[in-house]
Amino acid sequence: MAKAKNAGGAAAKAPKGEIALRPVNELDIEAVCAIDEKLSGQDRPGEWERRISYYIRRDPELSLVALEGKKVVGFMLGEVRAGEFGLEEPAGWIEVLGVDPACQGRSVGRKLLEGMLEGFKARGAKAVRTLVNETGQKELFGFFEAGGFEPTPIRTLERKV
Amino acid sequence: MENVRSSTLPKKFHDAVVRWGQTFLPDYQLLLDNWEKFFPHDRRHELCAYRQMGMCDELECGTMKGKPKFGRAAEMTPELADHLLKAVKAQASTELGSIQQHQLTLARAPEEVDQFWVLRMMAEELRHGYQMFHVLLEDDWASVGDTKGEDMVEEILQMRTGSHVLGAFNVDFDSFVDNIVFCALIDRVGKYQLAMQKVSAYKPMAESMPPMLQEEAFHLATGVVPIRRWVQSAAKEEGYVGMDHLQKVFNKWFPRGLDMFGDERGGGSNVKMGLKPMNNAEAAKQYTEEVQQLVSDLNLRYLRARFPKLSRDEAQERLKRIVEKGDTVEGVGPDNLLRLPHNSFFRRRGIYAYQMIDVDGKPIETLDGFKSHLKSVLPEAYATARDMTKFHELMGKVVHGEVKAEDAVHILPNLSRVGGVCPCSRAVRWVIDEPAKSNGH
Repeated sequence: MAKAKNAGGAAAKAPKGEIALRPVNELDIEAVCAIDEKLSGQDRPGEWERRISYYIRRDPELSLVALEGKKVVGFMLGEVRAGEFGLEEPAGWIEVLGVDPACQGRSVGRKLLEGMLEGFKARGAKAVRTLVNETGQKELFGFFEAGGFEPTPIRTLERKV
Repeated sequence: MENVRSSTLPKKFHDAVVRWGQTFLPDYQLLLDNWEKFFPHDRRHELCAYRQMGMCDELECGTMKGKPKFGRAAEMTPELADHLLKAVKAQASTELGSIQQHQLTLARAPEEVDQFWVLRMMAEELRHGYQMFHVLLEDDWASVGDTKGEDMVEEILQMRTGSHVLGAFNVDFDSFVDNIVFCALIDRVGKYQLAMQKVSAYKPMAESMPPMLQEEAFHLATGVVPIRRWVQSAAKEEGYVGMDHLQKVFNKWFPRGLDMFGDERGGGSNVKMGLKPMNNAEAAKQYTEEVQQLVSDLNLRYLRARFPKLSRDEAQERLKRIVEKGDTVEGVGPDNLLRLPHNSFFRRRGIYAYQMIDVDGKPIETLDGFKSHLKSVLPEAYATARDMTKFHELMGKVVHGEVKAEDAVHILPNLSRVGGVCPCSRAVRWVIDEPAKSNGH
């Protein structure tokens, strides 16, 4: 898997024509806002400032961005947790991902997922989990299914209040 | 952290750092007491040294590339050890120096969250200083020079704002805006230094870097996120910090950040010896690109907050028009946005040191003209600070031919403090030998 290289980190770039990965950093907030805006139609800077700084604080090497040249074209944020909901084993959780629509179909998501799985494994995770709406997010469900994810007996319970 | 070994300094040195922390980081306990509130689920801060195991065993750059890294000081040449020790001393000095600076204005934070983020960052800087002491104290440097690790630790603990190794750490903070911009600009240089030292020919130094870099990533966010918020508030004419003030604070710190890389013509020896992978000019260039990206993102954020009906593409187009063509659109022109000062402005090291050049890189003819320019582009509180008084004195000597610019770069601000004997006075040693234990007779 191509990894973006440079000493400082943020100025890294992918070799021409390749998609490379590097850990997310504080200067990616605007690029992530841009991808999210293309996907959701909303400009949500506060949301991404909060989320990205959370993951940088928790484990700055784990969450990733995908680069084409110097441009951020995708991101995947997650962390390792243990002891929640009675699940004692450390598990990786993928919270959110996004790929620039202009780069979809170029395996950006798959590369991000592979990079994250590697990171989760190195951190002692025994499983990786995420939550997807099977009916409302069919494409996303298919993406994770293709990545080897399977439905588990753990169910999300919800009650309207 | 995976594959990381932690350890503590021998007791008298550990206690010395704790005492130093009680003096210069008095809110440390407050941070620990509020850890769960501000950093839920995060690993609690611990004052210890971490070493990343499983790193590269071979030299990664320089003339000895591919040969085994040095695990002990005695394996190195005196020249290599000297370069390394200078880097360790400078690194430790910056870590402790920044705490002394942040403490000055920490209490003025407008938001509690920002205050606790800075406080955590200060605690991590203390750990970074501790880490460098660990590098100094775990080895015997006698075979490569006159340096004793113990003496260096004491010397570094004695440093104050004004006597630190690098200029950026000899400048007082004037407001909480300094705390935040310092994190965004000066800690960014720190990130480069740490990332470069990750390849160090001296294995204990290389192994010290990854855990420090992980913490440094948070320090950069501690700076960038509040600035982003401030810029958006400024665009809506709300909040505490205006764009003009932010610009002045950028003008204050960016030149100090560039100075931290050292003379643009230098750094080659470190590369040859395998201590760093880039020379000073290469590293400073990458740093400048990063800060330029930050400025550009902040300006885009300003325009989007000011004109919420503009799409991202329209805002980017407008930004380009304002910055590149100098146009004013709907009342927003170049002066309403942020810009990076020219890399020759207000420098104290390197080829532009002590030259009278304005923020745009244009020469200024007279000393009075230069003084007046600095007064107009730097924060008012800083323009009247002791650091500036000393700078103007030295600048005058350079202009009048009494001191050469190349000599001026070696003259420290030497901002001697007023005050009597206190725990932080030079009269007191931080590292204290434990009294001999009584044998009961």
